[in-house]
Amino acid sequence: MSLGRRGFLQFCLGAGAGITFSPLPWKLMDDISIWSQTFRGIPIEVPVPPVGEVNIEKSVCTLCPGGCGISVRKIKNRAVKIEGAEGHPINDGGICILGVAGLYQLYGGARVKGPLKRAGNRGEGKWEEISWSAAISEISKKLSQIRRNGSAHTVACISGKDRGTVPQLFKRLLTAYGSPNFISMPSSEDTERLGLKLMQGEDASVGYDLENARYILSFGSGLIDGWGSPVRVFRANSAWREEAVKGLAKVVQIEPRLSNTAAKADRWVPIAPGTEAALALGFAHVIIKERRYNKNFVMNHCFGFEDWTDNSGKVHKGLKRMVLKDYSPDVVSEITGISVSKIVALAREFARAKRPLAVCGRGKGSTPEGLQEFMAIYALNTLVGNINKTGGVRALPEVRTTAWPGVAQDAIAKRGMNQPRFDRAGTKAFPVTESLFNQLSGLMNTGKGAYTLSALLVYGANPYYTAHDKAAVAEALDSIPFIVSFSSHMDETAQHADFILPSHTNLERYEDVPTPAGLNVPIIGLSRPVVDPEYDTKHVGDTVIALGKSIDGIADSFVWDDYESLLKETMGGKWDTLIGEGYWKDAGYSPAAWSSGFKTPSGKFEFFATGLYRAGIRSHNDNDYLPRYKPVVLEGDPGSYPLVLIPIESTRLADGAVANPPYLTKTVADTVLKNNDIFVEVNPKTAAAYGLSEGAVAMLKTPTGEVKVRTHMYEGVRPGVVAIPTGLGHSAYDDYLSGKGVNANEVIGTVEDPISGLDIAWGSRASLVGII
Amino acid sequence: MKEEHKEGAHGHKEKYKYGMVIDLDKCTGCGACMVACMTENNVPFRKDESNKLVSTAWMRVFKATNGKSYPDIDVCYFPRPCMHCEGEHGHAPCVSVCPATATDYNYETGIVSQIYTRCFGCRYCMAACPYHARYFNWWDPVWPDKMEKALSPDVSPRMRGVVEKCSFCFHRFQRARDHAYAEGRREIREDEYQTACTQACPADAIIFGDLNNPEHKVYKLKKSPYAFRLLERLGTNPKVYYLSTRSWVRRAGDNYLAGERSK
Amino acid sequence: MSAQHEKKESAASSPIVIVFFIIGLAVSLFVGWSIFPKLLYSQKKQPIDFSHSIHLDAVGDCESCHFFREDGSFSGIPELSNCVECHEEAQGEDPEEIKLIENYIEPNKEIPWLVYSRQPDCVFFSHAAHVKMGELECKTCHGMIGESDHVEIYEENRITGYSRNIWGKSIGGFKSNTWDRMKMDDCAECHEEHGTNQACFVCHK
Repeated sequence: MSLGRRGFLQFCLGAGAGITFSPLPWKLMDDISIWSQTFRGIPIEVPVPPVGEVNIEKSVCTLCPGGCGISVRKIKNRAVKIEGAEGHPINDGGICILGVAGLYQLYGGARVKGPLKRAGNRGEGKWEEISWSAAISEISKKLSQIRRNGSAHTVACISGKDRGTVPQLFKRLLTAYGSPNFISMPSSEDTERLGLKLMQGEDASVGYDLENARYILSFGSGLIDGWGSPVRVFRANSAWREEAVKGLAKVVQIEPRLSNTAAKADRWVPIAPGTEAALALGFAHVIIKERRYNKNFVMNHCFGFEDWTDNSGKVHKGLKRMVLKDYSPDVVSEITGISVSKIVALAREFARAKRPLAVCGRGKGSTPEGLQEFMAIYALNTLVGNINKTGGVRALPEVRTTAWPGVAQDAIAKRGMNQPRFDRAGTKAFPVTESLFNQLSGLMNTGKGAYTLSALLVYGANPYYTAHDKAAVAEALDSIPFIVSFSSHMDETAQHADFILPSHTNLERYEDVPTPAGLNVPIIGLSRPVVDPEYDTKHVGDTVIALGKSIDGIADSFVWDDYESLLKETMGGKWDTLIGEGYWKDAGYSPAAWSSGFKTPSGKFEFFATGLYRAGIRSHNDNDYLPRYKPVVLEGDPGSYPLVLIPIESTRLADGAVANPPYLTKTVADTVLKNNDIFVEVNPKTAAAYGLSEGAVAMLKTPTGEVKVRTHMYEGVRPGVVAIPTGLGHSAYDDYLSGKGVNANEVIGTVEDPISGLDIAWGSRASLVGII
Repeated sequence: MKEEHKEGAHGHKEKYKYGMVIDLDKCTGCGACMVACMTENNVPFRKDESNKLVSTAWMRVFKATNGKSYPDIDVCYFPRPCMHCEGEHGHAPCVSVCPATATDYNYETGIVSQIYTRCFGCRYCMAACPYHARYFNWWDPVWPDKMEKALSPDVSPRMRGVVEKCSFCFHRFQRARDHAYAEGRREIREDEYQTACTQACPADAIIFGDLNNPEHKVYKLKKSPYAFRLLERLGTNPKVYYLSTRSWVRRAGDNYLAGERSK
Repeated sequence: MSAQHEKKESAASSPIVIVFFIIGLAVSLFVGWSIFPKLLYSQKKQPIDFSHSIHLDAVGDCESCHFFREDGSFSGIPELSNCVECHEEAQGEDPEEIKLIENYIEPNKEIPWLVYSRQPDCVFFSHAAHVKMGELECKTCHGMIGESDHVEIYEENRITGYSRNIWGKSIGGFKSNTWDRMKMDDCAECHEEHGTNQACFVCHK
């Protein structure tokens, strides 16, 4: 019997019939369709997140100084979500866009995975892995050597902030070592503290009682664009909105651009950039002239309102005379571009309002304002008598903690500490200021410094990115022969360091979080480890203690075993509350009464800052001691730079030392960033004047630098103004961040405040030329 | 409130009807809801997300202006989750066109589902959705470095070739229900089930709850004279309400003829 | 060719040709029913042999090891920490027990159990809904596993990567008990019977 053609066909027929009656085709179809649901393994495996027990850990977010309570959802040991902590006095369950993206700081790219030592040239990106003990010993050997050579004072430290135990540890390290050069990165809080010191005689930050204020006059503060402790202000804003519907609250935003804050305000006052102080004094003029000020407070608890006579018999000008003479609405209208009637109307509204509040600090408050500008805006609060009142302002004291044992200074340390600060803060040049980061580049690049810096420690700051006139700062810092970074991430500054001693990130460490800027009640938050460290990193406090113990001659000042025991000791009786609640709030706090509220020599609120005179600032012009508008002279001539450039600060782009996580970049509109192009906003009128259309490529030139941008036409910008988003243009980190857009600090230079010496640049002169 | 089983015209049991009221006066456009949603729902990010047509955001905040020129211009932000349209008796625009039954209307909760493993990526639903609330996965997700560790097991990560959208964090409903069951309850309290965006919103602008339950905040808010819905006149019967005291904003919520009166 | 001729030839050859048909049928049925399942599934051994029945006798009920957490979630396969509660030290000479101690408990390493009932990631299954509210017994879905003396071989589908227990031991997909299969249809069948919500999101995530 042979198979033959027919036989074969019959066989196939039979096989076909049989297969149909077997599970094979049906089961195969089912399996293949299941496979095709995920294309398992082709080209990648879509991850299946492992299940497990849920643990919720409470901590405090440290990505900005806002101090929000967070609760981190964990599946076994993986942190999978950050949420706002319910019931926390600052944010009560809410969270900001950066905080909610915080897991990227932990698990995302550009982490420094262990101590690194530079192998190639500076900034080349070649590193050698090194053990912690070797790194500590090499660095302390180097620092010991500098110390032995009598140059202890030439070592500087740049810190992101100056309050809290970690900055205190760095300060202590320098004090024991023999250097006065602890430099903290500036913010508007610096000016505010200085202003309070002079006007109220207190070392304190301004507490704004936003929650209870009902007429908010904001001088360019990005109240809902990231100012202060962002979530807290959002919440206050929502309360204002509820009251505003009933006609019980009003927000007035004075700003050259229709920011989110301006858009949400009840009234937007588009002012000529940089003239806010003039407007504030214009308001003061109306209030004083119409006698709408709080007579009880001004007459009994203020000094320098009326003219006064000093001990030598000389008559000095008071606020009243100066304001009435120099800041009539006509004059102010000319300066600010706001009509006389509007100035008068707003001033009356403010003076008449129940619980009015004037707020300052432009944008997020990352750039200090001029001292006299702050005084001018703050004076409005004084005139309506809302100092230390509900819905007003108050000088907020630090939360008291256990003092550390004194620093054991040897002869070298004492000699070093007697040297003047390199940045000239506290010297004859700028006697009232504590720290002047912005002075570094000028002094170093021109060789005019009192000495040369030989080593730099950087923590919690990224000056290579965040400082105005980025190129000059880079040039200056590059000239320091030895730089140690304590960054958790490979940021621009770490890139230029000689050693990186990576710190734990926000979710891996203990740290105290002092009262955030602008808060109305003293509070300390406790950030604590939520997960085990992902990499071979250390707590920065432990690193500093280890350095202190191994640098020759200063070990006696570092007696603690580790940072945790130091923190516990410092917090003393508050520790248990901190561990239990996550924060310690001064529940009994209430602002002092007017009669005892001012620590100035006169015991009164001082419009006339006699403190400046006592500090050694001599001027024949009384205006130099009073709140005042003094135009900030921007670099460049108006002919070549006809436009004014201002920054756009937004919650969706983190522009500080903590870089923007890709989640945030994703939310940014395509009229801010498209591919790798950044857009600047211009009014269509301005665009037409310069022949620019929507999306046109242009060169943005300022005296500081030039960058290629595209233009976005926006009716919300004053004609003649160009607005550039901040927070883009990183050159470090990973591919998700670097190379996107340009860094606004490349085109914004520095402007020195004549009294404080702080950099008060709120913008720059600029030109915008289309590229065909 | 006592459990209420409303018998709809369609004969389905209507237990809950979850919905949202978003107060546009309070919304600051900060974007926290967008990121809270992404991190809650395992939505990935790519190196370049500036092409918004292919950039997935279950919750997206749109910016609208009143069209006037300086200085009369005004801006308002519209957070846009999935509207979970009820249409008539659950005939949401997307549900009725899906050839794979990968999306359906849940009469028990009023939530429109999206089942990724069922979807084969024809994108009819995207064409049908008037709110652009649906997104197609043009790529498999890539999680850089250790970001995979941050993935939540409550939400299944999507593969390329399927459509995804906001689920009103339905897994949170499931979680809340499990918790209630473990305690021997059948009812879920208002605070037990809240979406990630609602919870995160620092301005408390998003309110979420059962639109059928007079004790829930949304019940009262949706009846506000300032309440409106987006493209209401299409008959999509969306479950997301907006509040605004600004009339131009309310008018921007739908398409009106030049001279036509709006609410 | 004439019609008569054709008829004759076909009549002559047809019985033989039918044989080929039958052979084809038999071969394919054999392949489909017997060879195919062997090829489709790879066989994997559990890391440790384990007797459910001994444990059940010792602890009394399923929930001692497979417990509900306070938030209503279900713990599923016990973690090493559960085992350690009793097995900190070896309780006998059994080589499997020695393996447990030496390979897992001492180095504090989780046991990589292969889970017979593991569903695809898109499935949401609430034990609380079924056990706490629905008052189903474990065996309704998991069968008599509590009475087994040894762990069975884990058969993994080479195409899908899921356990054979989902489709069921019967390659034909037939079932005689509720616990024989765990496919979506089986869930739906029970939901249909009990009038439970059939919306997608009830069981999917």
